[in-house]
Amino acid sequence: MLSPLEETLLAIMMAVIMLGMGSSLTFKDFRIALRHPQAIGIGFASQYLFMPLLAFLIGRALQLPPIQAVSLILMGCVPGGTTSNIFAYFSKSLLGLSILMTVCSTLLAVVMVPLVLTFYTSGIDAAFRIPSGNIVAVLGVLLVPTLLGMWLRRRNANVGACTELMGGILGVVVIVFLIATWVPRNWQLLMTTGPEVYLASVGLGLCGFLIGYWFSRAVRLNPQKARTVSLETGIQNGPLAVLIVTLSFAGETQQQMLLIPVMYSLFIVITSTFVTFYYRARSLREELARDQAKVEAEGPVRG
Amino acid sequence: MESSQDAATPRRQPPHPWTRHYRDGISAKLPPPEHANLAVLISDSAERFAERRAFTSCMPNGMNGALSYAQVDAASDAFALYLREGLGLAPGSRVAVQLPNCLSYPVVVFGILKAGCVLVNTNPLYAAGEMIHQFHDSGAEALVIVDMFVDKLPEVLPHTAIRHVVVASLAQFFPPVVRHVVQAVLRYWNRVIPPCPVKATPLGEALAEGRRLGQAQGISVPDYWRDLAPESLAALQYTGGTTGIAKGAMLSHGNLLANVAQIEAMAGSHIGDGEECVLTALPLYHIFAFSVNLLAFFKHGAHNVLVPNPRPIQNLQRAIENYPVSWISGVNTLFNALLNEEWFTLYPPRKLRAAAAGGTALHAAVAERWEAITGTPLVEGYGLTESSPVISFNPLVGTRKPGSIGIPVPGTEVRLVDDAGAPVAQGEPGELTARGPQVMQGYWQQPEATAEALRDGWLYTGDVAAMDADGYLRIVDRKKDLILVSGFNVYPNEVEDCIALLDAVHEVGVIGVPDLDTGEAVRAYIVTRGELDRDAVKAHCRQQLARYKVPKQIAFVDELPKSPIGKVLRKDLRAQYLKDHPHAATDGRPSC
Repeated sequence: MLSPLEETLLAIMMAVIMLGMGSSLTFKDFRIALRHPQAIGIGFASQYLFMPLLAFLIGRALQLPPIQAVSLILMGCVPGGTTSNIFAYFSKSLLGLSILMTVCSTLLAVVMVPLVLTFYTSGIDAAFRIPSGNIVAVLGVLLVPTLLGMWLRRRNANVGACTELMGGILGVVVIVFLIATWVPRNWQLLMTTGPEVYLASVGLGLCGFLIGYWFSRAVRLNPQKARTVSLETGIQNGPLAVLIVTLSFAGETQQQMLLIPVMYSLFIVITSTFVTFYYRARSLREELARDQAKVEAEGPVRG
Repeated sequence: MESSQDAATPRRQPPHPWTRHYRDGISAKLPPPEHANLAVLISDSAERFAERRAFTSCMPNGMNGALSYAQVDAASDAFALYLREGLGLAPGSRVAVQLPNCLSYPVVVFGILKAGCVLVNTNPLYAAGEMIHQFHDSGAEALVIVDMFVDKLPEVLPHTAIRHVVVASLAQFFPPVVRHVVQAVLRYWNRVIPPCPVKATPLGEALAEGRRLGQAQGISVPDYWRDLAPESLAALQYTGGTTGIAKGAMLSHGNLLANVAQIEAMAGSHIGDGEECVLTALPLYHIFAFSVNLLAFFKHGAHNVLVPNPRPIQNLQRAIENYPVSWISGVNTLFNALLNEEWFTLYPPRKLRAAAAGGTALHAAVAERWEAITGTPLVEGYGLTESSPVISFNPLVGTRKPGSIGIPVPGTEVRLVDDAGAPVAQGEPGELTARGPQVMQGYWQQPEATAEALRDGWLYTGDVAAMDADGYLRIVDRKKDLILVSGFNVYPNEVEDCIALLDAVHEVGVIGVPDLDTGEAVRAYIVTRGELDRDAVKAHCRQQLARYKVPKQIAFVDELPKSPIGKVLRKDLRAQYLKDHPHAATDGRPSC
């Protein structure tokens, strides 16, 4: 369980992250995004159709107890994390698309997360369900720093750019913070946790990567865009889920509920790193292939 | 037109049909220079516009730093003091500057001019060999270099006369927190700042030292430039032309001042004193941005937004969003790239008044789209390093002719001549020669090259042009790029222009390659932005061009080799082709 101080710290850090995300944006970006309904549609589908469904099915398949099933579904419902943008950058994916998808899913989250969560958890004991009001409140509150960030950037480009940078770095710091404070104190819990919880925590992210990629390829996005969507789909906003849980539950329930979000956050950093290396190698190989094609293209045209 | 040449040149009276297109206060005769030298121009402007913002350097993420006119003036005074008192340089000493667009650039360059020293602009991306040639040839005694490229110095310095190195950073003069963030990102994240392996003075220390010496010795900086005359050498501007080794074009204070006056004569109607904001995406070490953006706009109190690196083109987004850009200067590739960006085409700069294109032929398709999207004119001009650079421009008021490089700027005479040096008939293509106060004094320590380029006061440009009845010039092509297909002249520009009309074509470069059947064959390199095959290109060309001009060979490539300002380098395409096809030059048949 997190101490009140840690909860406050977490909330502040989330606010700064959202401030950073806001300062990477202008209203023009949204208007440009609206001209690409396809990209938004794909992002929306993978974020709010596939991921929650995936979480629900994994929970069912592994026969998770209700308390963990809810937290896994919550993990599937929360929007994309800002860390996905950092991994998108390293994997030579499309950073712009990644940021845009994160922003759109975050803004839509106010409506979509309560809706989808209620739908998938309706059969679960009411004591473990997350009240929709809490989610709306958290996301609504987080919109304030986002808008503030946008305003900051408009007012002073230097402050905006520094905030953006800080938000990106804090995205990683928060996960490190969570792991450093939560893991040692819950060592016992982790040791006694069954393999199915581990499997669920790791599997959600991995399946997200796969589904994001194949779905994008199926709707004929190019491999680079597909890799971006893939990272975006697999990487969820772990800290946000943690924050929602801490604000909704206390005591033993909170501790149990936090298990999957924290473990997801821990493992997603590891799996994303591997996936990023793999995608990066693929990007480089495609570039080389293009160079090769260029050389070969010289052949048949000679007169 | 009345001749504005000095009395020593013989007065000829070639026809000057363009003079009737000088409108609204453009006088055919260039008024006498307002300033004796560039230092006076700089300090006058600084006094007039003291509190106004002079330069902003905008990083791709929007981080920025700015200097006011008064701040640039004070800092460049300090740098002049450092050069003269701190380093003991004499007037006329060459000082090399190897900086990308950043706030240090105007400070350092204005300091050099104020000190009466000679500026040697150097491309920061030069390899060690190129640096050695340029520094050695110019005899530079001091070097101001950006910290990102200091690692080449141990290899370079021993072969040159450089005794002093000053190091500047990209984030110099930024607000302290932002400066440290930018430096930290560059040093630890991007890892582009190597440790400095030679003895060097940071620019900040050099300025402090200059200020200290000035105060201690009670020196009046204006004394440095009191004796600078229009004939005094201001810059050695190196140019390779299309041939190998770079030569230093000797540009005097008078040359550059004349060109500033000529630019304002042509564009003055769209430049309000203290009202403009000009986007400088082209490198300032190149003569186009140097004269147009740095000097001419500084004279009129404009706010200059410097972009350190315009590639990828997205690096310009924050600069265009955050500042009320009213002028853009660029080359065809830059405008074309902007027109392919959604953020630009959906939200073109609202305050834009005009854009100036130079450096290389502006494709008609690009100019048309630009005017349709921004609602402002994109006018093409023409010039060379050897002429400071502007020779001709389309007038902003009055007749603009698409595809034309405009009319000669006031005070400039243009003659088109055949190989024997005789003027060609009106409408016929001939080598463009120009005479005017902006034409260089010669190539530095290259009497033979000078004699070839400057004959009887006329600058031979090596460009083939044609003049219409109104005096508007159209560049046909570089003389050296001409392709001879079965004895017919094919000008690559015409073929490129035709191919560029295809929507799926992003960029195109055309060269001539050896061919057994036709002597030379037209070969096109195309960068696409959509589906396109060779037959479609050929079919399109056959509709628009005579048969012999249609490319025989077409290669689809990812990018084209370009010069620092974005000119497509046909000589590199040719060199690469000949390297890949070693027997092509001898047997005329490309090896497969």
